[in-house]
Amino acid sequence: MDERIVMVDSGTGLKLTEEQLDERSAVATVQLRRRGVRSGDTVLICLRVGPDLLVSTNAVIAAGGVVWPLPPDLDTATLRDRIHESGARVMISDVRQALDAAEESRVRIVMSVADLNGSCPSWAPPT
Amino acid sequence: MTVPAPHNLPVEPNRFIGRERDVSELGALVRAERVITLSGVGGIGKTRLSLRVAAQARPWFADGVWLVELARVGDPALVVNEVAGVLGVRDELPGRLLDGLRLRLRDASTLILLDNCEHLVERCAELVAQLIAECPRLRFLLTSREPLRIQGELVWRVPPLELPDERHPDAESVLLFVERALAAGARAVTEHMPDVVRLCRALDGLPLALELAAARTGLLSPGRIADRIGDRFALLTTGHRTAPARQRTLLATVEWSHDLLTPKERVLLRRLSVFAGVFDLGLAERVCADGGILRRAELLDLLAGLVDKSLVLHQGGAGRYRLLETIRQYAADRLEEVGEVARLRDRHLRVVCEEMERCYEGGSLEPRMPWPARLAHFIRGRTLLDDCRAAIDWAVASRDAVTGLRLARAALAILAVRGDLGESVGWHERLLALDLAKVPDDVVAVAAAALAYGLELADELERAEELIVQGVEEQKRHPYTHWLGISYGVALTVFFRTGRTERALRYMEELEAAASAHDDPFNLATARIARLNLALFQGRLRQARRHGEEALALGRQAGHHWTQARALTHLGAVAEAAGDLETALSCHADALPLLEGMDNRVELARCHAQLGRVAAGLGDRAAARKHVAAGLELSRKAGQRRGVMRALSALSALAQAQGDLEGRCWPGPPPPRCASRSGRSARRGGCGSC
Repeated sequence: MDERIVMVDSGTGLKLTEEQLDERSAVATVQLRRRGVRSGDTVLICLRVGPDLLVSTNAVIAAGGVVWPLPPDLDTATLRDRIHESGARVMISDVRQALDAAEESRVRIVMSVADLNGSCPSWAPPT
Repeated sequence: MTVPAPHNLPVEPNRFIGRERDVSELGALVRAERVITLSGVGGIGKTRLSLRVAAQARPWFADGVWLVELARVGDPALVVNEVAGVLGVRDELPGRLLDGLRLRLRDASTLILLDNCEHLVERCAELVAQLIAECPRLRFLLTSREPLRIQGELVWRVPPLELPDERHPDAESVLLFVERALAAGARAVTEHMPDVVRLCRALDGLPLALELAAARTGLLSPGRIADRIGDRFALLTTGHRTAPARQRTLLATVEWSHDLLTPKERVLLRRLSVFAGVFDLGLAERVCADGGILRRAELLDLLAGLVDKSLVLHQGGAGRYRLLETIRQYAADRLEEVGEVARLRDRHLRVVCEEMERCYEGGSLEPRMPWPARLAHFIRGRTLLDDCRAAIDWAVASRDAVTGLRLARAALAILAVRGDLGESVGWHERLLALDLAKVPDDVVAVAAAALAYGLELADELERAEELIVQGVEEQKRHPYTHWLGISYGVALTVFFRTGRTERALRYMEELEAAASAHDDPFNLATARIARLNLALFQGRLRQARRHGEEALALGRQAGHHWTQARALTHLGAVAEAAGDLETALSCHADALPLLEGMDNRVELARCHAQLGRVAAGLGDRAAARKHVAAGLELSRKAGQRRGVMRALSALSALAQAQGDLEGRCWPGPPPPRCASRSGRSARRGGCGSC
């Protein structure tokens, strides 16, 4: 089994293989589409550097979206301005300040990393 | 998608503007997700958006799209009642509504829209989580300032309408403002577009704020409005300085709009906040006019003024009005501020009580009256039930046991005709727990009997017995009333059911004597039906039929469809016992339309089951299946487990008659027909309630 490593998280030492990246990105792309992300849409991503950031970015691009990254260490006021400026409908973040800053924005849906992984119950459509 | 699915969504009051992409995305999400919560501050347009989404989702939900308005529900325990009420689930046994809901929704492809959950978030979260887990095809769309925070909930934050900029001078907010301003008769509004843009920005694109501002463009130019609302932010008088910007914007606008009202309009607006939901002019006059500040004659004009200013909605143009929840809360705060709450709530309680009593008396007390005239009173009474709940809450809170009990008993009469008086048990229990020292003995006695009535239906015979004896004995010391007749009916049912036939007979004879002496055909018929049951039980079929025919004649003279339907279904049972299935069939068939007209789904389902059984006996399997299926469907929809069991056992009997043992739904032999019928008949005969 030749597992190609595509990323190493220097904080945790965890490695992401190419296969994992592809698989997680594919799942995340489906989740983004289910929540209405369309070609040309801007999607905010506010995550610490690491595999989740890579997967999210990949997924947004695969869904035809435009990635609008936000460094998580910005102060709330700056975050708020950037969120406002983006005009994004969807934000991917688990960062407290970013969630607060999105409160009075035009962001409709905030997705956590768990949402992207489809780990929240995904329900069957009505039959 | 072939048959239009049922729904209870209101007609949109005016054109829906903007949010096209949101509506279409939510339309897809509502089919993919189990629970979506539209969140955001008051006035941002959650309700309107949710109604739009729900209306467009109708083709995808074969079992309907149902709006449940929770704004008026104060007590978390009543969320289930509200949902059950909308879905037509009847209280089989008091306190078992949730069970009924599960039964109703288990296999139903249904979208439930819970509007305004914020004050009941915990209870809503529990209920939604429970129902979602057990009903695989059920979906929820909610509006709430706060999310439920349950697993699987998709929180969808409703943004304000788009604001104009250089590239999009015709943004959603501008379109909404201009549309509503033109509707308000401000033709010149489009000549001030830069001011309109400034105003839309000042109002942050909040739909309710835009509506309130647009309603004033007849008098003030958009530029003036923008200036004045700008000043407002500086001097918000109602606190909330630390509230989020949107909330402050809205509050400033509501305050501004409120302050522009004439003093009388202000008084009326705050007083209208005591209504639970929709109200009509007549009720508004009686509750809000005081002969001093507000005279009755001027109320219509004042109300029309509030409608013009978008503070009151004219619901469907049928002379029915309501307040938007955000406005109702603001108005309620103003009422509190001037210290008028107790006075207005007292008056609301009194007026609702009088009106409910009028409905009860109109429908029940006249010995002879054509049915349509009676039904009109019952239907009117049903429209008062939301206000009745709010009024009973106030009666408990303000310890006004007398008025509360009078209202509760009048409402019970309205509920009983429709076959669901479960809710009244809670009312009576709460009211009877108050200090009753100043309550007349006869009022307490009727209340005890009314509580016993509900408890008997819930099979709590021991408590029912104690209360009903107390209720009847005390009432006997007072002049005869229709209530005493009903109480006797409950008493003899309780004693028949507990096997003390002697005491039951004694009450039956007393009832006959009293009801005959006081020209009370409704209760006299109850006594006749009790005699029929007794005779049937003892195998004296000829006498049983005679008693039933007397009851039927009484019902016809009185013009009371309920009496007629009860007499007919019992005559059907007698005919069936005598082996005369043709007569049985025609009796039940005659009862069917009467019960349909009363909307008494519990008895209607039973009637279908009886028809199914008789048709099967006659060898008409097609008709039998049709009726059993109709009964099953009704019971399922009303969440009636007993009804479902009855229908399943009928199906089983039917399958057996056809030699189709594979298709039997009942594990084991069908229930013994005679025993089950007479057992039930004895119950049914007593009070005419079941």
